[in-house]
Amino acid sequence: MRIIALLGALALLVALPFFTTGYVVYLANLLLTFTVLCLGMHIVIGEAGQFSLAHAAFYGIGIYVAGISGTHFGTPFPVSMLLGGVAAALVGLVIGTVALRMRDIYLALATFAFGEAMQWVFLNWNAVTGGPNGLRIAPAQLFGLELVTDKHAYPFVVISAFIMLGLTILISRARIGRSFRALRESEVAAQAMGIPVQRAKLAAFGLSAFFAGVAGGMFTLFSTYIHPDSLGFSTTILVLTMVVVGGLGSIGGAVGGAIVFGLISELLRQAPSWQEIAYGTILVLFMMYAPKGLFAFLSDRMGRLRHG
Amino acid sequence: MDFDLFLLFLQQGIVSGLVVGSVYALLALSIVMIFKTSEVPNFAAGEVFMAAGYCALFLLVFQHMPLWVAIPVTLVASFIVAALFRRGVLKQVAKASGSPVNLVIATLGLSYVLKGLVRRTGFGDTPRSFPALISTDSIMIGQASITKLDLSIFITAILVMAAVFWMFAYTKVGRAMRAVGMNPKAAQLMGVDLERIHMLVWGLAAVISAIAALLISPKILMTAEMGSIVTMAFAAAIVGGFMSLPGAVVGGFVIGITENFVGLFISSRAIVVAPFVAIMLVLILRPQGLFGGKFAIKKV
Repeated sequence: MRIIALLGALALLVALPFFTTGYVVYLANLLLTFTVLCLGMHIVIGEAGQFSLAHAAFYGIGIYVAGISGTHFGTPFPVSMLLGGVAAALVGLVIGTVALRMRDIYLALATFAFGEAMQWVFLNWNAVTGGPNGLRIAPAQLFGLELVTDKHAYPFVVISAFIMLGLTILISRARIGRSFRALRESEVAAQAMGIPVQRAKLAAFGLSAFFAGVAGGMFTLFSTYIHPDSLGFSTTILVLTMVVVGGLGSIGGAVGGAIVFGLISELLRQAPSWQEIAYGTILVLFMMYAPKGLFAFLSDRMGRLRHG
Repeated sequence: MDFDLFLLFLQQGIVSGLVVGSVYALLALSIVMIFKTSEVPNFAAGEVFMAAGYCALFLLVFQHMPLWVAIPVTLVASFIVAALFRRGVLKQVAKASGSPVNLVIATLGLSYVLKGLVRRTGFGDTPRSFPALISTDSIMIGQASITKLDLSIFITAILVMAAVFWMFAYTKVGRAMRAVGMNPKAAQLMGVDLERIHMLVWGLAAVISAIAALLISPKILMTAEMGSIVTMAFAAAIVGGFMSLPGAVVGGFVIGITENFVGLFISSRAIVVAPFVAIMLVLILRPQGLFGGKFAIKKV
């Protein structure tokens, strides 16, 4: 069942650029980027249970580092993307060292404050980020191959997304993933089991920042322009919403949430006020009637149908 | 900077800071009130504030209602919307999962809905100005100049705070609210109707936000984004420890004055980022806030 779904999704992804227009491919690129952002959010909130509201900031660091290194230093794009991810992870580790002494609401607010401060930096550090004028990003390139259109970038975006998905599954099955989940369930119990709590938290935080940074790198593959306005709290909330609507704590939920909710928000793009009302209503209804997310809700219903 | 100018800036910063700080303090009070009883940071506080401002604007300017009708109607409407949200939505969310993350996301949902609704009405598209109800003639306090409007904002805010503190300290319902904040189960065993108290707290918090909106609206241009002012209130609540009502008030004044000092002494561009730096500094140096108690570790 699962394998069939996965193969179906894979076939769809491969076939997509052959029978659709550039816009649909652009949308697919964007949704895949958001999928990676969601995977990062999934690691820190879904697996390790630590609230982080600075996702957009790490995403932004990834975009600026990858974009600038590609544009000004001509690095091949896999290198730029990796640089973006590593830069975001380093900043994440520094912030995490300080912020992870706090818990719950305090951690959420500290990371929120950091996110807002970073957006201010993006907006005011004119020399590097172009400030309020935004930053033009040169087309990504690899050994003379230039990714000029969305369709050119698409295969690489898909590959990056699958690498990150594989990485998430590996992390979740490895010892470190188990220690994340132990941490989520009970910090005290995890400590008693001999899990270095502080180090595990920091690892979750850094990994999540790394994912967001790589997502930023993916963004530079198909986009030529970035403005700090799209790197604020609302982006973090969008990602959080996707993860929660899909189902907090499951990888499938994070991926599915990114795609379903991304499509909804794209469909409603033309009417911002309806978009906001629909967003809000969806969030509230999900929290009221399907708190475990769309997929848990659906499989629950299916199970009931099957077994009466 | 010579010494006279420094003194002038110092006085002006404190006076203006106390005025906006009193509004931040009201908003912080409403956030902390809700957090103490439901353990939910209400991310919709800013949008409740914004929607209340628009409601008053609509009644006063577009329906030409007299002041003594428009203001009570706004306050009652805010109370009802917030109380119904608690009753109709949050109760079900808490029943469905009980995880604080879900409650927080439900408040985010409310904030989106309110913002969308205000945009739908069409009033939110262009910045509006709210009519000043009190003259904007300036008066001098020391060397600092403020308007009569500013002074009345400050006085009204202080009166509202005094009323809130009186309610918490001396009335039966205030004691019930505090009891629910300390231990909901024990409060219920003592005969407190939990759901009623939660509805009252949410309603009252919305009324306080609405008052804050009525006070500050004549001083700013109203847009559908004006709820972002709530970041300052969150900063104030954090400075005050997030669990303490007096802390929220002091935090409001600290943030208001800091904001003005940063604007006067450093640069007006830095004003936006100042509260976040303040939040981070407070959280790093004194994570429990200025008025917070000791951290308690949750047992297994």
